[in-house]
Amino acid sequence: MAPAIPVVIEARGLGKIFSVERAPIVALQDISFAVPEGRFVSLVGPSGCGKSTLLQMLAGLVPSTTGEVLVDGAVVRRPIPEKISVMFQDATLLPWKRIAENIEFPLEIAGVPAAERHARAAGMLALVGLSEFAERYPHELSGGMRQRIAIARGLAPNPRILLMDEPFGALDEQTRIKMGHELLRIWAKTKKTIFFITHSLTEALFLSDIVLVMSHRPGRIVGVIDAALPRPRTYDIIGSAEFGAVRNRIWKLISQDDTEAGETGMASL
Amino acid sequence: MSVRRLIVIVIALGVWEAVRRFNLVGPLLLASPSEIVAALVKSWPDYLVALRFTVSEIVIALAFAWALGIGAGVVAGVRPFFGAVSGPLLSSLFAVPLITWYPLFMVWFGIGMASKIAYAVVSGFFPIAINTMNGVRGVDPHYFVFGRAIGCSRLQVVLRILLPMAMPSIASGLRIGTALVVIGVIVAEMLASLGGVGYQISYYQSVYQTGHVYLGILFALACALAANWGLSVIERRFTHWRELQIGER
Amino acid sequence: MKPSVLAAQAAFVLFVIGAWEYGDAVGLFDPKILPPPSQVAVALKGLLQSASFLGDAADTIVRVIAAFLIGAPIALATGFVMGENLDVGRSLSPIFNLVLAVPQSIFLPIFVLVFGLGFTEKLIFGITHVFFVVAINAAAAVREVPHGQVLLARSFGAGRFKIYRSIYMPAMAPQVMTGLRLGIIFDIIGILLAEMYASRSGLGVLLLRWGESYAVDKLMAATVLISLVTILINELMRVFEHRIGRWRQAMA
Repeated sequence: MAPAIPVVIEARGLGKIFSVERAPIVALQDISFAVPEGRFVSLVGPSGCGKSTLLQMLAGLVPSTTGEVLVDGAVVRRPIPEKISVMFQDATLLPWKRIAENIEFPLEIAGVPAAERHARAAGMLALVGLSEFAERYPHELSGGMRQRIAIARGLAPNPRILLMDEPFGALDEQTRIKMGHELLRIWAKTKKTIFFITHSLTEALFLSDIVLVMSHRPGRIVGVIDAALPRPRTYDIIGSAEFGAVRNRIWKLISQDDTEAGETGMASL
Repeated sequence: MSVRRLIVIVIALGVWEAVRRFNLVGPLLLASPSEIVAALVKSWPDYLVALRFTVSEIVIALAFAWALGIGAGVVAGVRPFFGAVSGPLLSSLFAVPLITWYPLFMVWFGIGMASKIAYAVVSGFFPIAINTMNGVRGVDPHYFVFGRAIGCSRLQVVLRILLPMAMPSIASGLRIGTALVVIGVIVAEMLASLGGVGYQISYYQSVYQTGHVYLGILFALACALAANWGLSVIERRFTHWRELQIGER
Repeated sequence: MKPSVLAAQAAFVLFVIGAWEYGDAVGLFDPKILPPPSQVAVALKGLLQSASFLGDAADTIVRVIAAFLIGAPIALATGFVMGENLDVGRSLSPIFNLVLAVPQSIFLPIFVLVFGLGFTEKLIFGITHVFFVVAINAAAAVREVPHGQVLLARSFGAGRFKIYRSIYMPAMAPQVMTGLRLGIIFDIIGILLAEMYASRSGLGVLLLRWGESYAVDKLMAATVLISLVTILINELMRVFEHRIGRWRQAMA
């Protein structure tokens, strides 16, 4: 990693222990990584490995049992909406508000004056290419469009970091690919730092600069893959030999971890 | 359609009137439309006083039942443990014939307005609380996380996100609860009171003025219908997005 | 249910009773207005040994049971016809929904005018409380019957009686039970209300009389007793309902 780029968000020895019926379960263990400014970082791992918990810890929404999260060098203890926006698999739009009002909602909570709110919402709608839907309601939009609105809403407060928790997980394959392109376009334009969770290796690799690979129970980072494929990327890249080679490396990391856990799980306890 | 309905109503009223005119049913059992109108003409000022009494009880009881019901429902919905503890208790309590508690309310709050209000609040409270709890629990938890992530305080999360999201369910709770409040006030007045529409009904019954009894029942029904109508206006205002949504599918 | 939840529920109930007793002991409550649980228990014991109280209770119970025994079968038959015969169902269900939406208790004075003060008036008022909720649920239960299975059974030559017994009954049972449970609760409410409004005997009369004469310990004892009995009936029928439902799920 080039040392010249400053680190925006950093995890230091993060761990999370849940107690279920008085039995402690180690969900996350000793997770450390740093995300440089403006990079697209993905986290892949099997479902239930604690990816979402990790994301919510990064956002200051869930306290960690051990370790700490730093944003711009300061420890995160509570949500910092001016620096971090969070997105989920469901767009979580408010169904009784028009699209423009939905984008303005976080600004309203932050106390931004009405005139500026309107201007920013209009700008964000133009960015995601849905200006003509400003006065519509969420249910009038397709799933993909709703996610684009969620991106616009996330970007409206002009945060430094976008945390995305499987944002395209509920979409069909075609829409998902289109949304990937769209996200890359928006990312190139806004130069935000993106931390993106997915369980699709292809999606992670297609989108990211860096792919973090996570294991299951306890959730640990088992590999950091530098996905230095050329940009701008098109769909063709997925078929390339280079892409396949890197994807196989990730796959091996994940599957190896599975068998290891199965055979040596008892010993490690 | 409306003309036909009008004709049906006119015929029904005519038959009703005829039944009494030809004395097919005794004067103590049934009052004819003309007798009810006569009762209204004769003692409308009394009924106006009674109506004002009853309506003010209903309004006060509604304010308490709505506030307490929604408040308790939100707390039980947001705190899963509280909800798990109180949920079964609430639905067991649903079986209790609340009317049997009214004499106790008389002892505790006197025979005036307060005992009617207390009884009506208790009977309206449960459906509102249960529906609010279910509505809040039904909200995708990501909305809660989203709200906190954009910097909402807990109160803002509840008022600006959870309550509107749960509105369709809350509205149906309010509908049931409001009906129970209105009926609760009037029935309590019928059992023991010093004034109000329900008092009129049971007073005139005890002096065998059948026309006035029917008139009182019509006033009581009017209260119930008015509350129901007012509520559906509010409901449409707050949940129109939901109807649009369902219409789409 | 988790043990911690049950413990919290028990703790809550015990806390209320304890606080109530303690409040009276330290003079926080006026025992003339809110007698302590111990005093209520004594009053309850007295009531259960008093022949006149038991006589009134018997009157109420007879009314409730009679209304249920007459109302429920008629309602089940009506509901079944409504569910099976779509034309009948379509023409009757708006009326039923209207009646359920309009509060029956307001019409109690008319029942008194028409049927007088005696047993008949209470019986009929009780029957109307049982009838509609049971009928609507029975009609809804018919819709639970798997029509594919009925066709299949018919194609194998199963007779009408056999189809009713082996397909209709198990499919309809849970929803019918829900209706019956609500029916008996509405029945109890209706009878007690009718007794409180105007009657010569029954628990409702006692309650109102004790309320007006500030006989608080007896009033409280009777109120708590009635509440506990209805909760018990409701919970027993709910357990039964769930058991039937589970058996049906296992079949499917």
